Amino acid sequence: VLHATRQLHTTQQSLAPLPPLPEKGGEVRHGLIPEEFFQFLYPKTGVTGPYMLGTGLVLYLLSKEIYVVNHETVAAACILSVIIYGIKRFGPDVAAFADKLNEEKMAKAVAVKNEAIENLQTAIEEEKKEQWRVEGRSYLFDAKRNNVAMLLEANYRERLMMVYNEVKKRLDYQVAMQTLKRQKEQDHMIQWVEKSVVQSITPQQQKESIAKCILDLKALSKGAHATV
Amino acid sequence: MAGRRVALKAVDWAAFAERVPPNQRAMYNALKTRSDALTARLAALPEKPPAIDWAFYKANVAKAGMVDEFQKKFSALKVPEPVDTQSAKIDAQEKEAAKSTAEYVQASKARIAQYEQQLQKLKSMIPFEQMTFEDLHEAFPETKLDKEKYPYWPHKPIADL
Repeated sequence: VLHATRQLHTTQQSLAPLPPLPEKGGEVRHGLIPEEFFQFLYPKTGVTGPYMLGTGLVLYLLSKEIYVVNHETVAAACILSVIIYGIKRFGPDVAAFADKLNEEKMAKAVAVKNEAIENLQTAIEEEKKEQWRVEGRSYLFDAKRNNVAMLLEANYRERLMMVYNEVKKRLDYQVAMQTLKRQKEQDHMIQWVEKSVVQSITPQQQKESIAKCILDLKALSKGAHATV
Repeated sequence: MAGRRVALKAVDWAAFAERVPPNQRAMYNALKTRSDALTARLAALPEKPPAIDWAFYKANVAKAGMVDEFQKKFSALKVPEPVDTQSAKIDAQEKEAAKSTAEYVQASKARIAQYEQQLQKLKSMIPFEQMTFEDLHEAFPETKLDKEKYPYWPHKPIADL
């Protein structure tokens, strides 16, 4: 990918906020030669152009002994091959490990930020709820006033009832006293009459009444015999 | 007796209960039980005491004039109404409460504005991947290392590492 995302300052305007840097660097072939070089030569020499150029250059350097092959060449070849082998084999793993470390750091930061956002939102919710609660204070005062009114009314009614009860008690007492006195008088009278009657029955009258009773009984029994 | 009947406002206990915060629940329960007890007491008393049957008493009580006297005094008697001492206090309390709630609501609104501001700042932050350290110190001032107080690396007390 060519650096189409890197924007050059072609105008006076400053690009702010700066666009982020691209994730990956420019493409290279064989780890060394940028892709732009191949694209640059493509129109004139096609696909094989740069390779021919490379081969030609190397042969020229070797044949003309501009580059001399000596012991350092061998050492360079060995070292470079080991290095290249190492990178090719362990490169991706190390890259992944480093990326993971970075990811963790980012994740922690993002988590902190999200938590902060959530906390703020809950705090706002709580405040709104408290405001709503506060609006209900009219209920409290209504209830209090109701209580006071109820107390007064109950008190007043109790007083009325008390007055009524007292008056009634007194009147009832009078009536009860009278009836009691009446009753006592009646009882006494009856008793006195009975006593005087019993006293006035003399023995003579007793004998006469008993004889009369016997005569009556005989008459009755005669009548009973007749019916039976 | 009919002139002083102040209509009792129906208190919606359910809605009231909703608005009570949990730390004041005990007070609310106490108030409710008081209210219920008073309502029961009021409902148990009849509005007017039953009328006294003067004709019956006049016919039956032998003492002359006693019933007449009682009747005269009874109809002339005015039961004093209980004096309302608390309503003024309740009104004063209500005004007090209105004032303090207005203050509290205002403070609460200020707090909400603060929170909203911070929320806005956090939401409009650039993602961490695109930040430099300078941007981070701008967004979260507490991450800035105090180079004056701790001039030597790591610029913060070792215990904080």
